[in-house]
Amino acid sequence: MTHVLSSLLVTASVLFGAVASAATLTAEFVDGQGKPLTDAVLTLQGPAPKAEPALKADMDQRDQRFAPHVLAVRTGTQIKFPNSDNIRHQVYSFSTPKRFELRLYGGTPSDPVLFDKPGVVVLGCNIHDWMLGYVYVTDDPWFGVSDDKGTLTLDQLPAGHYSATLWHPLAPDMQPVSGGEFDIPASGLRQRFSVAVQPKGDDMPAAPPSSAFGDAFHKAAHE
Amino acid sequence: MKLRTSFQARIAGVLIMLLLIVVVAVFLAVKAATQDAVRKQAQAQLEVGTRVFEGLLEMRGKRLRDAVQLLSADFGFRDAVASADSATIRSVLLNHGARINANDMFLLGMDGTVLSSTVAQIPEGTPFPYIQALRDLRSKNQSMLIVPLQGQPHLLVDSTVMAPLPIARVVMGFSMDNDLAQELRSLSGLQVSFLSVVHRLPGQIISTQPEALFESLRGVMMSTSSDHMQMTEHQSQSFLSKTLRLGSISDSDSDVVALLQSPLDQAMQAFAPLDEKLFWITLVALAGSLIGTLLLARSVSLPVRELAQAAQRIGEGDYSTPVVLARSDELGLLAGAINSMQSGIAEREQQLAHNALHDGLTGLPNRALVMERLGSAIAAKRAVALLYLGIDNFRAINDSIGPEGVEQLLQIIGEQLLLPLRPGDTVARLSGNEFLLLVHNAGTDAAVAVADRLQRLLLKPQRIGEHDIAMDACIGIAVYPANGDSAAELLQRASIARQDAVQMPGRLQVYEDGRDLAHQRQISLIRDLRQAARNGELMLHYQPKLDIRNGRVRQAEALLRWQHPQFGNVSPAEFIVLAERTGSIQILTNWVIEESMRQLAEWARRGLHVQLSVNISADDLLGGDLPDRVSDLLKLYRVPAEQLIFEITESAVMREPEQSLNVLNRLRECGISLSVDDFGTGYSSLAHLKRLPVQELKIDQSFVRNLDETSEDAVIVRSTIEMSHNLGLKVVAEGVEYEHSLRLLERWHCDTAQGFLISRPLNAVAFEAWIAKSHTSPSLMVH
Repeated sequence: MTHVLSSLLVTASVLFGAVASAATLTAEFVDGQGKPLTDAVLTLQGPAPKAEPALKADMDQRDQRFAPHVLAVRTGTQIKFPNSDNIRHQVYSFSTPKRFELRLYGGTPSDPVLFDKPGVVVLGCNIHDWMLGYVYVTDDPWFGVSDDKGTLTLDQLPAGHYSATLWHPLAPDMQPVSGGEFDIPASGLRQRFSVAVQPKGDDMPAAPPSSAFGDAFHKAAHE
Repeated sequence: MKLRTSFQARIAGVLIMLLLIVVVAVFLAVKAATQDAVRKQAQAQLEVGTRVFEGLLEMRGKRLRDAVQLLSADFGFRDAVASADSATIRSVLLNHGARINANDMFLLGMDGTVLSSTVAQIPEGTPFPYIQALRDLRSKNQSMLIVPLQGQPHLLVDSTVMAPLPIARVVMGFSMDNDLAQELRSLSGLQVSFLSVVHRLPGQIISTQPEALFESLRGVMMSTSSDHMQMTEHQSQSFLSKTLRLGSISDSDSDVVALLQSPLDQAMQAFAPLDEKLFWITLVALAGSLIGTLLLARSVSLPVRELAQAAQRIGEGDYSTPVVLARSDELGLLAGAINSMQSGIAEREQQLAHNALHDGLTGLPNRALVMERLGSAIAAKRAVALLYLGIDNFRAINDSIGPEGVEQLLQIIGEQLLLPLRPGDTVARLSGNEFLLLVHNAGTDAAVAVADRLQRLLLKPQRIGEHDIAMDACIGIAVYPANGDSAAELLQRASIARQDAVQMPGRLQVYEDGRDLAHQRQISLIRDLRQAARNGELMLHYQPKLDIRNGRVRQAEALLRWQHPQFGNVSPAEFIVLAERTGSIQILTNWVIEESMRQLAEWARRGLHVQLSVNISADDLLGGDLPDRVSDLLKLYRVPAEQLIFEITESAVMREPEQSLNVLNRLRECGISLSVDDFGTGYSSLAHLKRLPVQELKIDQSFVRNLDETSEDAVIVRSTIEMSHNLGLKVVAEGVEYEHSLRLLERWHCDTAQGFLISRPLNAVAFEAWIAKSHTSPSLMVH
């Protein structure tokens, strides 16, 4: 498979504040066709390390989906997998950075799962094949995931020189790519990132369509 | 009988042939229809079966894929695969593969590399050979691959191992073994065979067919390229076959071929009872028609045979047995016709038989019947006398009473002839005036007595119309056994006796021995006489006639002589009578006249001038052409008519006086002198002679031979001479043998003498010499 990586266009408007004051990076993600790209992960390596007191995160399961779809965490984060559905899930991952399995459960399991190695951890549910979630574990201090509009805003960044790494679940071979290096002035920076993505493969099983029986069952269960 | 067999056989043959044709046609039509039906059925079966087969295979593929997908979704399996531990992966493959009875298991990386394999041919680390085909499956909406693997066709299905993203591909192979083939067979109803081909080499064959056919099946599967239907034969079993290429790889070297076959023989077997029934129906129909046609033919041929026998009976002369055929059809009509024909033939044959054996006029038996009766009498050696009766004056009677009167008379004769006979004797009519009487147990004397009585009876005048007719019967008698021992001989001798009887005063003659020899000689003479002139057997002799007054010989009579090659010299008295009787006298006369003229001409050239007398018969006078012929000959030979004298007898002139007179007058006009010969033997009178244009009269030698002065002959001769002279006729005396006779004649002034005294008849040369000598010494002549 050929990987065409489009050039990184930087049309940044840098917003500078005071040197001591924090700057804001507003990143816009687009795919190869220039459409806003959601669920894109941006990590930044900056001028100074960031102290992170509590490394905790939640990966919820709602409507038989992982929420969020993509979760970026710092290495060593404890992630809880609360279950907001009224059915049980069995969350697992065979990914090398973190192999784990949460036996069939409902509600919030008692123990969070520690993600202590950087990398991509693909989450699945053993009884709902279509449930797919990603945990991006990074060593970089600054990171974020683009929203529905393909934008991500990182604030409280010290102004300075940063190197960016980009990742997206549909990136070729799910490998992170470099987002380039740039200076973020105190006034902040508006940066546009283009990430090449592959179309969604057919391999993934789709969620079963709602059936009359399912609807009736659902209704009965809720009354 | 040949008629019967051939007729029957022909009818039967035709009908059976027709039946056979119909049956064969029906049989062939049925056969063709069943075969067609079987083929169509087989074709339909094959088509349906093929669809079922393909459907089943597809279904099986789906089932297997689903099973593999289910398997690959198993958490433990995924866990194991994700463990990346080769031994674990291998064991889980074997374990889970066994769950769904897979034969071969592979785990592939997403890039197609073999991660784990249970097949030695495809080791780990190598690219999986069918990876591209597997990737294309989904886009082709297919669920499985069919590939040759380890010499056997295999179904390959795959599934992605999701964790939950695809991490690997598990591929399971299911060999298409005998069980599958059997299952497909039981569901599709077709014989199923599989064959894997690798590098154009056939692998092991898997088939529901018996092993004996494998070799032949392999041939079909290897050779056939397209998947159309065809008829194949394997060890004399017929199949409708279809080859399917199942191989999923577009590699022509290797392939998986399926052969689907619908057995035709089995389907044909279903129609065997029909064939059998048809056969029996045919047999029964043939037998029935054979019997039927034989009966039919028999019903025709038996009566025909009977009719044929009847016809044969009729042919053999049996007219009494009618043919009995109680039928109202054409054959019955024919039988009736034959019966009426039979009676008709009988009637007519009887009539014919009667006509054949009886005289139509008198109703008396005819010659054939009397001869038959004579023959049977001879055969029985019974004495029998045969009387041959002729009516002598029949001609005169005929002239006076006419044919109708004759018929009446003949019937009367027939009745009268029966009177002196006893019952059992036969009277037959032979011809116009001849009858034959057969008298049994009679010798010559009895026969003569009967004959005498017959003559007397017939002499009694019968009144026919205006006339009283007395019949002058002349009867010849021959008796058995004295006069012969065959019917023909007796008849002939009776006939000879009758001819002899004519000369007899009593007009009755019994046959005398040797008469038939004389009769034979007569017949020979009559026969040979006609050729005598042509054969040069005739010659003329010349007897000098002496002119008594001057003692010179200036005349001669030409006398005919016949040198017969068998009998020698035949007397004119014998053959002239025969010639007159048979009518060949004219031939002789013509020859004599011509020869005489020729001789006269010859002599004239040598200076000898003689007057020749030639005898002319009555027949010559009746034919009117004599004068012309004589006139022509006179001119031809340049002989003066005066040198010829024609001598005619009285009786010749008497027969047809008018006609004769006419001829004589014309001869006289030619200048020929005429003489009356044999004067005195007939009944003619001198008055009658006066009417004739004659110049001479010849006194018959019977008066002259013994002439002397005192005899009665002398008176006759002398008065005849005187009367003749008075009538102006010259007189010739014949038969002068003695000197004194000549002297008497001289004294009575007879003009000419002829006889041995002067000279016997001489041939031409001798006569010429005699004349020459008489001239030198005439005295010798006269006295």
